[in-house]
Amino acid sequence: MDIKRNYYEDIELFKSNTILVWSILFLIFLAFLPWLITTYRPLGLSIYIVNLITIHAIVAIGLNILVGYTGQISMGHAGFFALGAFTAVILIVRWSFPLWIALPIAGFVSSAFGFILGLPALRLKGPYLAIATLGFGMTITTIIKHMEFFGGRMGLQAPKLYLFGTPMKDIHYYYVIMIIAVLMTIGAVKLIKTRVGRAFIAIRDSDIAAEAMGVNLTYYKTLAFAVSAFYTGVAGGLYAFILGFINPESFHLIMSITFLAMVVVGGLGSIMGSIAGAALMTFLDIKLQAIQDIPAIGPALVIFSEKYMSIAGISNVAVIVYGLIMILIVLFEPLGIFGFWIRNKRYWKTWPF
Amino acid sequence: MLKKNLTFIGVLMVMVFLIAAPATAQKVRGVTDTEILVGQWGPQTGPAAPWGAVARGTDLLFKIINEEGGIHGRKFKYYLRDDSYQPAKTKAIAKEFVEQIGVFAVVGGIGVATGMTARDYLMENKVPWYAPITGVYEWISPIQKYLFAQYPLYDDEAFNLTGYLHEKLGYKKIAMFYQNDDYGKQGAQGVERYLLRKKISLVAKVSAEMTDRDLSTHALKLKNSGAEAVIMWTMPTHAALILAESAKIGFKPQWATSNTLSDSALMMQITKGLWAGMINSFALELPDSNLPLMVKYREWHKKLAPQERWGTFYYAGIAFAEPFVEGVRRAGRDLTADNWVKAMETLKDWKGISSPITFTNPMDRQGGKHVFYGKVKPDGNIERLTDWIRITK
Amino acid sequence: MFGQLIVSGLAVGACYALLAIAMVIIYKSSEVLNFAQGEMAMVSTFVAFMLLDAYHVPFPWAAALTFLFAILLGIFFEIVFLRQAKDPTVIGLIIITLGFEMVLMGFAGWKWGPDQRSFPFPISNIEAYNFYGLIISKINFWTILITLVLMFILFLFFRYTKLGIAMRATQQNQLAARVMGIRTKWILSFTWAISSIVGAVAGMLIAALGILDPPMMMDPLLKGFASAVLGGMTSLPGTAVGGAMLGIIENLFGGYVSLAFKSAVAFIIIILMLCIKPSGLLAKHYVKKV
Repeated sequence: MDIKRNYYEDIELFKSNTILVWSILFLIFLAFLPWLITTYRPLGLSIYIVNLITIHAIVAIGLNILVGYTGQISMGHAGFFALGAFTAVILIVRWSFPLWIALPIAGFVSSAFGFILGLPALRLKGPYLAIATLGFGMTITTIIKHMEFFGGRMGLQAPKLYLFGTPMKDIHYYYVIMIIAVLMTIGAVKLIKTRVGRAFIAIRDSDIAAEAMGVNLTYYKTLAFAVSAFYTGVAGGLYAFILGFINPESFHLIMSITFLAMVVVGGLGSIMGSIAGAALMTFLDIKLQAIQDIPAIGPALVIFSEKYMSIAGISNVAVIVYGLIMILIVLFEPLGIFGFWIRNKRYWKTWPF
Repeated sequence: MLKKNLTFIGVLMVMVFLIAAPATAQKVRGVTDTEILVGQWGPQTGPAAPWGAVARGTDLLFKIINEEGGIHGRKFKYYLRDDSYQPAKTKAIAKEFVEQIGVFAVVGGIGVATGMTARDYLMENKVPWYAPITGVYEWISPIQKYLFAQYPLYDDEAFNLTGYLHEKLGYKKIAMFYQNDDYGKQGAQGVERYLLRKKISLVAKVSAEMTDRDLSTHALKLKNSGAEAVIMWTMPTHAALILAESAKIGFKPQWATSNTLSDSALMMQITKGLWAGMINSFALELPDSNLPLMVKYREWHKKLAPQERWGTFYYAGIAFAEPFVEGVRRAGRDLTADNWVKAMETLKDWKGISSPITFTNPMDRQGGKHVFYGKVKPDGNIERLTDWIRITK
Repeated sequence: MFGQLIVSGLAVGACYALLAIAMVIIYKSSEVLNFAQGEMAMVSTFVAFMLLDAYHVPFPWAAALTFLFAILLGIFFEIVFLRQAKDPTVIGLIIITLGFEMVLMGFAGWKWGPDQRSFPFPISNIEAYNFYGLIISKINFWTILITLVLMFILFLFFRYTKLGIAMRATQQNQLAARVMGIRTKWILSFTWAISSIVGAVAGMLIAALGILDPPMMMDPLLKGFASAVLGGMTSLPGTAVGGAMLGIIENLFGGYVSLAFKSAVAFIIIILMLCIKPSGLLAKHYVKKV
């Protein structure tokens, strides 16, 4: 059943009816998710956190196209994220663009910068590329910080958006973000399956071999950067609006690292993995601090801190746990959450053998 | 293999359920017959963690008040959340406070970028917010009904400090060293505003980035400007670095700085004594003050939180929550957000352990308008130079 | 002013170079970009601080104990975390080191609290030597000297000791080294130990130059990383030159062009440099075989 008879079958979005049915069910689930959250508050989630997760998922998908599929490392995606956020806000504040035009423009502005960053990447590999992209991210925020056009170091207030005359709330943003995210996910899945995606994967596996086979390295490597930056830019634009206020200082290196962690934890070279990774890492990042409120563990931590550590730094336990989770997932599931999923699927498929 | 996976899932599920908190609902949000729920965010981890002491200081104040029997039969329940100084987290915390915990009010909260993400949301939901711990204009303009600011405005503070250096001490060549963010920039703005009025120009204006750890070039620039006095608007780390670098190259001007750096015990320690001679403005009473309130708080501190250092940031947490508590006391048993706002607007020259607080003009939400100046003695104690001086009109 | 800028640039560059060398030692033997380097150094420095401040251990003993701790920390990380990774990807390894960085950062914040401290280093960071008008602070002078001495020791070590030669052999070809009877796993741990010591020296110097607090290594680490790349990532002398250059360029740019972009200029130069000579300043150009 896994045999493809022709090209069109291979690039089909839904391989079988089962997947189609599950996808539709999942979309219906997404449509009712806000209602579920406001009524039952599972896991202490709020719509805002789901929005944040979705935005991070878009970034993770974009980054995965670059890191997981094309094999280029980037430690500067916070720069693209910032570019998208500032472009969208400035377009709307200064020239009163509507959101649906401002967002793609934000995406294209980042993608133009992605293209520029892709040029040195043609010659760089591994640590060299890591430092170049890292430097790029830091340079972007430094420039934004020093230009009054971008609000300088003070930052910019994102304008309130209106939907049919009423100010948009989290729930409205939820549907806007979700629709964009679903479209972009489908776009990414399609992209990977077509000629372009194959070229990316060929470059990842061996760029010299790919070039020998006739893949235009210059074109595809810069394209990978541009596409990845586009995703991140659009996500950045959305981020500015759910946050309501953006400041260059918040797009720092740690953000780039978190994005990278999402991709690796989710699974390199897997779109679904990126989404899962974004969800897990964002959730942990926001909720882990509640570790001290857990009955029994919390008081024990306090006593331990008083005796051996410092009580002022007790919140750092959350940081330690976050770091450990990152390490353990990479150690025991090199393919991330996606690998975990595959392993289980295989296990249950052949059960009880 | 299966066993490993099941344990993994099991651990994950247990963690998730433990983390998840149940939701509650009340009539007036955050006020029950016996309790008032109050929240605050503050960085407990990450690079901004030293300021997190403020949020823990507020915890001490609420503990003291609860020990003394609460207010009108209600005790405070205080939620402290760590935002690591990341705006996205701050907003998540604000939503948690309002939608899940249902707090009556938010007190304190450090940072402009972080607080600005939550400001409009809190105001739309009519959550009283008392005293963000930064002295910038964002909190008082435009006027928000439920937002009261206490921290002295950096701009006015710098303006008056420059005036003091120029008029009282006679310095003509003044340089500015500041960190490149809203705190430093509004300070620089105040200094320049004063000098412009006196038609003097700043001899040097040097800024540092938050992440910079090498300030040798900055010190050289200041030295080459020939400044007699340097006003600095930075965080403790940069203050220590610039003093050390200046001392290395033999540059010894009169330094002056904002109340953010008024923790002279800490500063003396990290500058190895170079802090002596600093002219400092203060927005809070001195840590060893004999004011009855301070004595009381110090005693409670020994009893309830002896492991915390009695530093300025720590008791600032008390100072910036006291007027909020006074508002709750004046609002009486029938506590609602609007009653609290009305009660706050009756505060006139109210004195806790910070400067006198006034909110009687409903068109002015800047409560703290006074600082005093002091000079750091070689033993780290403060020689008080002036009484409370009004800096904001 | 020019001389002054060069001198302080060299002192800062020396610290960058030490961190970069620590990084390169590891990179050469295990192809890991160690983002935890800075935090490992920071925790070691805090241990030294604790010994000096709380237990009043004399400085030479405290330094020795700190180096011992640094060795254990390096070996611990290698054995407990990195060695467990089954055929890891480059990015996976980076994530492991980043995770370890967070663990260490959290640990330091938890154990010692977030407050800034001054590091009781025997050399004052305030007094200065005056060479005919050129003021060289004692700490800068000694930083440069210590770095040079340490580099010389490392050079001798890698050149003439059995262990050093074994390490170089392992770096060149692990399989061949094992065939020759070198216990490569043991050598790998040892690499981490040495790197950790070099890092600890850098940490103590940086703390002595400024102040000691958990985030103190963030900026120097990135600069160290940049110096390593500038120097070519595979050559120790190149790395040292890269660090010194970076410190000087930064200071000159800050002094004469723009202070605001001082931190960013390092990265811009590096991006441009890498475009022209991707393998760094002093490394031999190396072509990957398909």
